[in-house]
Amino acid sequence: MVNDGAPDVEVVARVLGGDGEAFGILIRRYEPGLLRFATRMLGNPDAAADAVAESLVRAYRHLAQCRDPARLKSWLYRITGNRCRSHLARRHTNDIPLSEAPAPALADSTDTWAALERGEQVALVERALAALPAEKREAFVLKHVEGMSYEEMASVTGARIPTLKMRVHRAREALLAALEEVVR
Amino acid sequence: MSPIDPRLQEALDGERDPGELPADLREAYDRLTGAAQLLAGTPRLSVAPRVMVQIRELPAPAPARAPVLTGTPARRLARWLGRPRAVTVRLRPVWTLALAAGLTAVLLLPRLENSLTPGVAEGVANFVGHFPGARSVEVVGSFNDWSRGMLHLNDDDHDGVWHGAAVLPAGPHEYMFVVDGERWVPDPLAGRYVDDGFGAGQQNSVLIVRPAAVEP
Repeated sequence: MVNDGAPDVEVVARVLGGDGEAFGILIRRYEPGLLRFATRMLGNPDAAADAVAESLVRAYRHLAQCRDPARLKSWLYRITGNRCRSHLARRHTNDIPLSEAPAPALADSTDTWAALERGEQVALVERALAALPAEKREAFVLKHVEGMSYEEMASVTGARIPTLKMRVHRAREALLAALEEVVR
Repeated sequence: MSPIDPRLQEALDGERDPGELPADLREAYDRLTGAAQLLAGTPRLSVAPRVMVQIRELPAPAPARAPVLTGTPARRLARWLGRPRAVTVRLRPVWTLALAAGLTAVLLLPRLENSLTPGVAEGVANFVGHFPGARSVEVVGSFNDWSRGMLHLNDDDHDGVWHGAAVLPAGPHEYMFVVDGERWVPDPLAGRYVDDGFGAGQQNSVLIVRPAAVEP
């Protein structure tokens, strides 16, 4: 019996040894972050849940192909990111991207960022994020929401570190411009 | 959208103390980090139950299934015996045990046979890789569920050229070399590659096994 605090390498070995239930430990460990990442990528919690569920099942089926179980987290984010990109490429017309959702109304032009209610702030930031191209959105979320280093991001996305830095920088500029536009 | 001050980028990258930023940049810093915090809330839903239901219905991710390495009559008989067939055979238990013992003996034969004889719709796949200084090289691929320990290459003359062969079903197979048990590398001589399906641009080598000529 492998315990919940066991290292990824140990849990993966356990699963590959035939203990499929041990995969539940990995799900509990990484599901919150994967759902957050997918939700920010897709702008839709239901689509994000589908993408993460599909990714986890795929990860289980192909666990033997995980070349470095010590970096399982990056591998899972990579599969999920890939799934999100596939979803975005075939997004159904009845999915409403956050960028098209109505903007929350501001009480008056003197409102400031600090005066906005938290819910309104979240909606504003989600809209600004959704307006970014997928690559920049992914880079910003991995860097600033998931708190990854550029090395981890390179492992997840396959992009080179200078490319990722450029995407993050551009995403910051676009996001800051969008936020300043709203609260101006 | 205009470029933002490099000092702000450096602070956001953790390369500069944000306390050193002038007031206007500090305000932008706080706004961006505040936005990131707003996005960092964890969704309350969980997919764990439905994922576990699905994977309980799946086979284990790395079944211990060995690749077909030889095509000797005994092995072909073993494979024939191993395949499910719609026949009814009445056997006494003692015969069943004897059959099982014979089958086990055939499957445990050493794999270092000099000749590989493919069966119907099979062909011989030759693997060659140049890995000077390597302690071990093996092949994992779609034909053995990417499981290690099943197809080892040899470098008997220690010249760094590792080689081996296996009988595989005719058709395309994806594969990789695993060097020293930890480094996965594509075959530089494969000539054909496909994305490994997990993003990040990593590629598997592809070989196409041609069916051996049928003897008259």
